[in-house]
Amino acid sequence: MINSSSIKNFRYGLSKRLKLDKVVLLMALFFLLLLPVLVRHNDYILQVFTHALLLATLALAWNILGVSGSISLGHAAFFGAGAYASALLSLDSGLSVWLTIPLAGFITTGLGFIMGLICMRLRGAYFALATLAFIEIPRVVTDNWDGLTRGSLGLVGLPGFPSLHLGSWHIDFYSSITASYYLVFVYSLVLLGLVGFIFRSNLGLALQAIREEEVAAEAVGIQANSFRLLSMLLSAFFTGISGACYAHLVRYINPGLVYGLHFSAIPMIFAICGGRFTITGPALAALIIYPLDQFIFHPLIPAGHEFLYGAVLIFAVLFMPAGFWGRMQRNTGVVLSTKPSSSVV
Amino acid sequence: MWTTVLISGISLGSFYTLIALGFALIFGVTRNFNLAHGELLVLAGYVAYWLWKVCALPFVCTFPIAILVLLLVCLGLQRLFARLSEPLELNSIVLSFGVAIVIQNSMLFLFSGNYRLIRIPSLNQGIRFHGFYMSYGQLTLLLLSLIIIFLLYIIMHRTYLGKALRATIQDKEAAALAGINVAVMGTLAFCLGAVLIGLAGPLYGCIHYLYPSTGREATLLAITITIFAGVGRLSGIILAGWIFGLAESFTVIFCGSSWREMVAAVLLLTLLAFKPHGILGEKL
Repeated sequence: MINSSSIKNFRYGLSKRLKLDKVVLLMALFFLLLLPVLVRHNDYILQVFTHALLLATLALAWNILGVSGSISLGHAAFFGAGAYASALLSLDSGLSVWLTIPLAGFITTGLGFIMGLICMRLRGAYFALATLAFIEIPRVVTDNWDGLTRGSLGLVGLPGFPSLHLGSWHIDFYSSITASYYLVFVYSLVLLGLVGFIFRSNLGLALQAIREEEVAAEAVGIQANSFRLLSMLLSAFFTGISGACYAHLVRYINPGLVYGLHFSAIPMIFAICGGRFTITGPALAALIIYPLDQFIFHPLIPAGHEFLYGAVLIFAVLFMPAGFWGRMQRNTGVVLSTKPSSSVV
Repeated sequence: MWTTVLISGISLGSFYTLIALGFALIFGVTRNFNLAHGELLVLAGYVAYWLWKVCALPFVCTFPIAILVLLLVCLGLQRLFARLSEPLELNSIVLSFGVAIVIQNSMLFLFSGNYRLIRIPSLNQGIRFHGFYMSYGQLTLLLLSLIIIFLLYIIMHRTYLGKALRATIQDKEAAALAGINVAVMGTLAFCLGAVLIGLAGPLYGCIHYLYPSTGREATLLAITITIFAGVGRLSGIILAGWIFGLAESFTVIFCGSSWREMVAAVLLLTLLAFKPHGILGEKL
């Protein structure tokens, strides 16, 4: 299907990566691993970083679709549907949260399939517009289907993560923010590994080929629409899981919140600022921009601090279309994309 | 009841046409999707509200100042858009999405998140005629929108400038070959768009609560109408606006007002699914 020599070149390119970015990544990893100790279990800082990690997973999940060149403005639909699905399942059916979260993932995959059917024929700007419009459907349905979702007031008092008993270990997510932090940390690491695997697998290669030149990709036997749909399903699945985690971490959701433009904008902004065509860039951007917002801009300008997200997005589109991580990797000689012109958003 | 729905639909639809015209003009001439359109509209509404409430200006006097503010903002915006690289349409969506967030948060900072409405009591009275009822608000909305649309029609179809603008909408390169300065046309489109938004914004503040994040609805509406009509077809935009207004009015009557927000989304998705190139226009 895909020319084998191109795979070889591609893999060779990855192994040749300069050490600098690996060093940065390792440092970030150690920093995150030791963070609870470093901040002496300061609840506020840990809470911010838990949220930052959750947003990082959103950006990573968004980027599974983003790497194919499509820009989705509608991931809040998946986020909200995941949050609502898991919340309602755990409230009404009494299933364990550990079970409702993957179930929510499958439900959002279904939603992703519907969105895929509608949007897959569209390209570029029209795809983005269609996804933007798509959010309204689950949002208004959730708002109005009072019998199932309890309407626009939202759900209060959702069950948190139940405590885990691993032998003599007893992990209580209810009272310890450190435990929640590590939970989200592990999830983001797993997702990072998966995204890395997907990007280097045949699926990832096909998606990048589609992004570079769809007609040429079709000519070598890549069924562009199936691959794009598959990437959308994967993206929807993990966004749904992140949404479900959000519901059980924050334990309060309402339609305006979880279907808000915020959760559509944020993964896109992080992915574009970090580098859409890199594996770790989106996650790193989340870990830099969100704490920056919460620690510096929020105290300074309580109303309107989110202008930061718009400002970094404008800056990235105009001056750094490959994202800061993509740019750094290009300077060190290795990028996933080989054609510089294609890295334009 | 039917006549009431019809009247409110047509009056609202004409106003929607007015909202969409600015978007369609900017998109047609420069091929920039301006996702901040709704935010600009709300900004104009806020300017009018502020002048009307705090400075106690008569409502009519708020229009010129709103237009002035919008002209400044739109010219700044145009400078940003001019720096974009290809693919223009997708890049402009991402850029204007960022702009929308910045404007939203600036409005939150300047005007707070409270719901505001320009409440003009006389607009709520109405005329009763052979069993149907029309409020002065609806009448004003209808007449003002139609007058502005008519003026724009004159500009676009009866002046040399309009001819140049239409030529640029049809084919940028051919227009440039014919000696039209395409860059100037782009700036002009933004200026005309700003004037249209500046006229629509204060009216929007009269019929709709203003709060910083309400702009998305108007953006979606403008996009839907523009794609429905195809670019460069004024008559198509009016028709689309009316269909849209009627669809909303009927949805409110039959399904309840909470389903109204879905009308734009469903219409846009249906349009894109079946007619990716617009209904009346050959090519978007």
